[in-house]
Amino acid sequence: MKKQTAVILLVLVMVFLLVPVAFAEEAAAAAAEAGSNAKAFAVLGAALGIGIAALGTGIGQGIGLSKACEGVARNPGASGKIMMILIIGLAMIESLAIYALLVSLGILMSQNSFF
Amino acid sequence: MEGGGYLINIPGVPSYVTYSWLAMIILVLMAVLVRSSIKLVPSGFQNFMETVIDALYNLCEETIGSHWAGTFFPLIGTLGIYILLCNYMGLIPGFDSPTSNINTTASCAVPVFLATHYYGLKVHGPKYINHFLGPVRSIFALPLMIMMFFIELIGHLVRPVTLSVRLFGNMMAKHILLGVLAILTPVGVPVLVLGLGVIVGVVQAFVFVLLSIMYLAGAVEEAH
Repeated sequence: MKKQTAVILLVLVMVFLLVPVAFAEEAAAAAAEAGSNAKAFAVLGAALGIGIAALGTGIGQGIGLSKACEGVARNPGASGKIMMILIIGLAMIESLAIYALLVSLGILMSQNSFF
Repeated sequence: MEGGGYLINIPGVPSYVTYSWLAMIILVLMAVLVRSSIKLVPSGFQNFMETVIDALYNLCEETIGSHWAGTFFPLIGTLGIYILLCNYMGLIPGFDSPTSNINTTASCAVPVFLATHYYGLKVHGPKYINHFLGPVRSIFALPLMIMMFFIELIGHLVRPVTLSVRLFGNMMAKHILLGVLAILTPVGVPVLVLGLGVIVGVVQAFVFVLLSIMYLAGAVEEAH
């Protein structure tokens, strides 16, 4: 029962977080044409891209880290090997966020709006 | 970040090239220094170098197997120490890290890719294509084999890209973060990012070396 309520609450929070994004896109698409607002859309795309990538990376690395902690708690003698596996896993997951960062930086630099 | 000049500035040569030359000179000098006064019972600098080489060789050997570890170890060891040195050169003020440029990282990743396929073809011959065809081998599974071939081909082609972009992205992100934090809070907080840079330098070099070892081991092993 607790798990069900947690899942329902999580879904509700996700819906509430994504509602302003959906409304903003709708309003912006209705209000202006894309040619004159290319820079605005580019900046929005860059920010959303890296934001969602960071979200996924945070969740993935958090789950991996929690399981690694559990493994070390069960078997403290294997902590060296578990730490090595954890570091490699975190670096691989991090690289997905780095790809998204590079795409975002590319978008920003193509509009000459990078600092 | 772009404002100050670098310490060694040869006009006409980009900064990442001059600092990669500096890294090369440092590595060759270290090797020549150890070799000129080599003793049977090591002490001092030779001891340190032997520890590093031994650790890298054990890492190689437990994944590849002792038959091929000797062949691959020069490439892996050089890449590991060179990338570590280049990552750390970026932390010193006045120096630039060559690995924060996609040219250097691609030049480290492409030889690994070429070596993988060269050694795979050398060991297996034309049967190397068995690595690409997936687990099932029968005439009825031909669509599966064709699909697995394309998927594995894309996976293999993307390997040098991911190796180089991972290293480049990490170093670039650290530089950009330092630049932004230097504008926002010049006191105190950039030191934390420098600490993170130390950790990230070691971890990224280690991950590069480990992935290269796994790709090379996967190419020379017996196909399932």
